[in-house]
Amino acid sequence: MKPADDVRKLFKDAGLRVESKADERVFEDMVQAQHRVDENPKRVPDAWRRTMRNPITKVAIAAGIVIACTVGLFLWTGTGSGIALADVLTRIQQVSVYMYQMSMTVSGQATTGTAVDQNVHATILLSEDCGMKMNMEMTDPNGTTVTYHEQYVLPQKKILITIMPEHKKYMQIELDDTQFANLQKQNNDPGAMVKQILDCEYENLGRSTLGGIAVEGFRTTDPAYLGGMMGEIDATIWVDVKTQLPVRTEMEMQMGEMHVHGVVHDFEWDVSVDADEFEPVIPEDYTALSSVPFKVPATSEETALKGLRLAADLTGRYPEKLDIMTLTSYTGKIIMGDTPVAKRIRKEHTGLAREKYIAKITETIMPIQGIGTFYTLLTAEKKDPAYYGKLVCPEDKELVLMRWKASDTEYRVIFGDLHTETVTAETLAILETALPQ
Amino acid sequence: MMEDKLLIIGFKQGRREALREIYDKYKVEMLKLAVVLLGEVNTAEDVVHDVFVKFARSADRLKLTGSLRCYLATSVVNRVRNCRRDRLRRGETGLETVDRFAAYSRGPQQWAILDEQLTRLSDALRQLPYEQREVICCHMELDMAFREIAALQGASLNTIKGRYRYGLEKLRSLLNGEVTK
Repeated sequence: MKPADDVRKLFKDAGLRVESKADERVFEDMVQAQHRVDENPKRVPDAWRRTMRNPITKVAIAAGIVIACTVGLFLWTGTGSGIALADVLTRIQQVSVYMYQMSMTVSGQATTGTAVDQNVHATILLSEDCGMKMNMEMTDPNGTTVTYHEQYVLPQKKILITIMPEHKKYMQIELDDTQFANLQKQNNDPGAMVKQILDCEYENLGRSTLGGIAVEGFRTTDPAYLGGMMGEIDATIWVDVKTQLPVRTEMEMQMGEMHVHGVVHDFEWDVSVDADEFEPVIPEDYTALSSVPFKVPATSEETALKGLRLAADLTGRYPEKLDIMTLTSYTGKIIMGDTPVAKRIRKEHTGLAREKYIAKITETIMPIQGIGTFYTLLTAEKKDPAYYGKLVCPEDKELVLMRWKASDTEYRVIFGDLHTETVTAETLAILETALPQ
Repeated sequence: MMEDKLLIIGFKQGRREALREIYDKYKVEMLKLAVVLLGEVNTAEDVVHDVFVKFARSADRLKLTGSLRCYLATSVVNRVRNCRRDRLRRGETGLETVDRFAAYSRGPQQWAILDEQLTRLSDALRQLPYEQREVICCHMELDMAFREIAALQGASLNTIKGRYRYGLEKLRSLLNGEVTK
């Protein structure tokens, strides 16, 4: 036994008990002290959670959901002539190769603060086996062609190749399954769009006629569309009543100060194309932006943590929201930022050619975009995610920064100081009450 | 840790039961700490009473960077120091000179009832210089590292280790048979 062990044992064994009357008096003093300060009790922020824990309201809400679903079912199947959106998805999936045109207008202010007024026109060819090919032309308002891109998504190689003829450059980005799926959604693939609408709250717009074709419309303004990635959204799809295939889709998006209006039209179904169409042809004199393909970090908790840590190191705070515009604006500010870490990152890549410099910086800050991708995945998987970057700072070790469902009874939580824990739903409810208003 | 986290949240929301749980969880340990630091039970009760009442008032501004236990223990240590300083400033007798009868005399307000071992330990500790006593109590009772105690006392690590060694030696001789049983 060490010399101190016997003293330590004595410390451990020595004890006391409290006399109950005095004990109660001390506690009452504490309660009074607490009440004197607590004249303006704080409102509890998570009303819905508390509401859901109340068994009476739980039954009422459940009844409301059942009524809503029943009404919905009546709308979709009760008439006998209506189109079920799920059937549209099935029909699209039966077509192996199809083609469509996409026209998009982007206006307003970009994250950098510069005014944007651009028209984008793209022709997209989609094949179940070979992937996607997109020819994209971007023009300014007076019709002058600004730039032309050719983009290939190759599912076998899980790679995205962009060819930029006016710069004689090309770029390769390696993708994982989730990123690949996200890319499909962002390119307004009608199949992916139908899937998204089915996951959201949507309404039937009824019958109409488009170019002499009888169509039925479906519309969603659900903020959960695309996992909330796109800000405010209004998406409509018009389906041919006869073939049950899309005829036209329209999308309005308000992302910060930027407005996007996109229309997908001129569908051609079951197109006959040669597999060579999907093989990118890169002229010999074109050079790669990076000697090795960019690797987008995996969509995972680890990447999200890495991104959040990087965000905290670079700016001392977290992105307020996880939609594309907020994250783009946030990373833009990082690149231009004055923090020592941002300056160090810039300095590390000084001397590189402009394209390579941009490529390196992009690669460095990519994990921050990974937070958004991970959140989108959680939304798509209906894991009840929530993010509180607006309220929580890196110093807030007790506050929930982000959470999602880990199982039926448990939630995974990332705290402000980026430590993680798995907690019960009840515990989470209590933790979230601590969030500032 | 998670349990304390939830208690703190409840406390900050003004929930009485959270305050009760915190109090029940830590009152005995804090009383014991105050007793061994002061070597006198009445003042120890006052100190802990003040610490908990002050804690109850702190809901709005409380921002813990460490554990709740550590926060309360540090509050007790600081309060004990203030108490000693006030007494010396007022020219009152130092707590070390309080006789054994006065140290443990009980009245109708009695809160802590010490067992025999704690009384003996407290008696022995009272005879050590305060700095040595504080080092031993923080290390033995709170499991604080010497580095942390050095920060608390604003002294070098070597000084703290020296205070611990000398204090321990003297304590063992004072307790004599007690520690060799």
